[in-house]
Amino acid sequence: MTTNGSSGTQKLPLEGLRILDFTVVWAGPYSTMQLADWGAEVIRIESLQHFASTTRGVMARPPVEMVRAQSWLGYPDDDAGERPWNRYSVFNHHGRNKRAITVDMTRPEGQEVFDKLLRISDGVIENNVPVSMERLDVTWERVSAVNPNAVMIRMPAFGLTGSYQNYRTWGNHMEALSGHPLIRTYPDLTPEYAPQGVPADAASGIGAAFAFLLGLRQRRKIGKGVLIEAATAENFVPLLGDFVMDYTMNGRVWTQMGNDHWYLAPHNVYRCQGQDAWVTIAVENEDQWVELCRVMRMESLAGDTRFVDMESRHANRIELDSIIGEWTTNHQAHWVMNRLQQVKVPSGVVMNEKEALEDKHLHERGFWHPLTHPEAGTYQYVNTPWKASKTPNIAPRRHAPRLGEDNEYIYKEVLGFSEDEYRQFEETGHIGMDYDPSVP
Amino acid sequence: MLMPMDGVRVVDLTRFTAGPFCTRILSDYGADVIKIEEPGAGDPARRMPPFHKDDPGLEKSGVFLFLNTNKRSVTLNLRTEDGKSILKELVKGADILVENFSPGVMDGLGLTYDVLSEINPKLVMTSISNFGQWGPYRDWQATDLTLYGMGGNMSGSGDPELEPLKTTGRMTSYHVGYASALATAIALVNADLSGEGELIDASAFEIMLQSIDSRMQRLLGFQYNDKVPERLGAAGQMGLGSGTLPCLDGHFMLTGGPVMFPNIARMIDAEYLLEMPEWNTVAARSRPEAAEEFEALLIPWTLERTKEQIQAKCMEFSVLGGPMNTIEDLVNDERFDERGYWQTIDHPETGPVKYPGYHFRFHTGDGEAMPERRPAPLLGQHTSEILIELGRTPEDISGLRAQGTI
Repeated sequence: MTTNGSSGTQKLPLEGLRILDFTVVWAGPYSTMQLADWGAEVIRIESLQHFASTTRGVMARPPVEMVRAQSWLGYPDDDAGERPWNRYSVFNHHGRNKRAITVDMTRPEGQEVFDKLLRISDGVIENNVPVSMERLDVTWERVSAVNPNAVMIRMPAFGLTGSYQNYRTWGNHMEALSGHPLIRTYPDLTPEYAPQGVPADAASGIGAAFAFLLGLRQRRKIGKGVLIEAATAENFVPLLGDFVMDYTMNGRVWTQMGNDHWYLAPHNVYRCQGQDAWVTIAVENEDQWVELCRVMRMESLAGDTRFVDMESRHANRIELDSIIGEWTTNHQAHWVMNRLQQVKVPSGVVMNEKEALEDKHLHERGFWHPLTHPEAGTYQYVNTPWKASKTPNIAPRRHAPRLGEDNEYIYKEVLGFSEDEYRQFEETGHIGMDYDPSVP
Repeated sequence: MLMPMDGVRVVDLTRFTAGPFCTRILSDYGADVIKIEEPGAGDPARRMPPFHKDDPGLEKSGVFLFLNTNKRSVTLNLRTEDGKSILKELVKGADILVENFSPGVMDGLGLTYDVLSEINPKLVMTSISNFGQWGPYRDWQATDLTLYGMGGNMSGSGDPELEPLKTTGRMTSYHVGYASALATAIALVNADLSGEGELIDASAFEIMLQSIDSRMQRLLGFQYNDKVPERLGAAGQMGLGSGTLPCLDGHFMLTGGPVMFPNIARMIDAEYLLEMPEWNTVAARSRPEAAEEFEALLIPWTLERTKEQIQAKCMEFSVLGGPMNTIEDLVNDERFDERGYWQTIDHPETGPVKYPGYHFRFHTGDGEAMPERRPAPLLGQHTSEILIELGRTPEDISGLRAQGTI
């Protein structure tokens, strides 16, 4: 029987599943977060001797100069505290509901612990370059030999074969290679200004969680486990499907579109009253265009030959955007949004984090849920982004595990090691709640 | 290869982009997706550019073709009683129903979850909408731009002095569809275990807020120090050894930073820096001036090299980096072909066209390859086939056709 910190009698759909988690950085941990949110027992396997950068922080013990420079990637009150690895904002959000143990897999007894755990687990998820996992001997050959029923998800950026297999990237570099930032960036500026977002990481996380569930179905069908190769680049390219198809069908190459649409206009973001306040407006048809003109009190614009239909508006969109932008600068973004939504024109504020936490719609839908972390404090966490009618819908149930927080539960209760053996693991540096002093 | 969703039947009422992306993921992995389309008009995505050879036509939209591989199309007028009763028959034999109408439309048709689950208690019904099926914004209008602006990390994307930027194309819709497929798969696990289906209310707004494209991180980061996070912009992204830098044939994106700095220093033959007190510790490398000082060495180095050459160096020295490619560069990068990524799918109206391949691949150990995908269906291509499966006679079918039900 696995546990996931859920309480009450109603079961979560993935309760009973045990998943060993070797994920790092953002995409992988986001996938296991999805599974843990719905009840799977996800056990992070970490080592006191090795710090995976950008997972529990950029460094285990960051110098104060670095802490100050980190803004939203940082620590409560910009204070890294005594154990910075337990206070890092990113980890503490995606780590909720998971368990964490420590073991040094570079030593034989660490490998034995892994084998014992693997035998009673449903699978493994990891997102490292293949060579790193080979170093730990966590390969499909080994996993399937120890537990023939295991489902294993491997999600390196470019897959397990081919010339790119050990090409180390984050989401942003892989997106650059896949063409996203060059299409996304500002029309009139050089590519230095391209934003480095990582929607690819989000899609990888969703995809790997979905793939794991499919793996369980496949296991039922064929009576044995399965390896699923989820190259994050291959998973991301379909999100650019329109651009791929326009190129393969028509040879057309889109670049530097900014907020332009292929054919809709107006379709942009406009500056409003206040500091860094913006509103989006997208007009999809003639009714919406007429309503927009009415709200702007510029009815004559609707009959202006430059803007008389979608095609002419699109051709003259720079002029059009400057007219709309002049109007919005005299209004509050929330006023524009509410006013345009009243007449069914798609419009919304560019919502910053403060506004999101105060948003009435999200409050009414119970999107925020507080959790208390023993070393970081009490904050609001995002809930599940969909509601299931017969399932408890409170995702944040247990704080992100501190390093080694679940050693006792896993080693003793789950694996049945004795008190003496447990102490032995502690003395030999497998078990603990602090990184080895040699780890920077 | 036996696919994991073989034997799962999906009644697909989705239109446009987010919903069809959800059911496309299900059909890719073996589900029998029956796409219900309005007689004559079909899914509005059939009228969305780009068209094959820029020649508009219901069977030539690149968006539609891309989103509807492996599905079967049935035309059905849901406003007629006959149409509704055929839909209910399909629901009886289905595992999943997915729809992305505006909230309230299914109720208006009398096709609520209560009605449908009475016909089939195991049914998982996934409703995808912009803001959810209830709440103050339920009836608000939205496009990708609206949703990324409100839900996604738009406030954090772009230059702090300039306007914030959305993600490109229909990425937001597609991501919402993908997350809805995950929601559906979890509910299917529940239905298999309990024998009871459920209703999923998937909100695009909330899916974007939960996204780890930096939004989720910033939502907790903001609370940690009570500072509304700024957009990083080009200057902010130009940390130590980091940024989108000009090179011989374009631009190249690099990430260094004080911790990973030694690799990038070695890559550009500046290992000697690591001996110097200004560079030999993380604290020293966290100096505010460090980035600009190092740039004076780094940019001349990138300017002498092509994207391909820098990429090879990154791989050699374990430096995080990627070329700023166009879609053309991507589709022609033979390292994707090495892995057989792209799939050429033949369609009666377009002939063979190259499509993005599978999101992820199964290796069952039997050496079997993933199957080829079938092209998107012609409008109503499978209407007769499916009605015959439901036990209708050719005479019934002609009658329904004459009435405009199918």
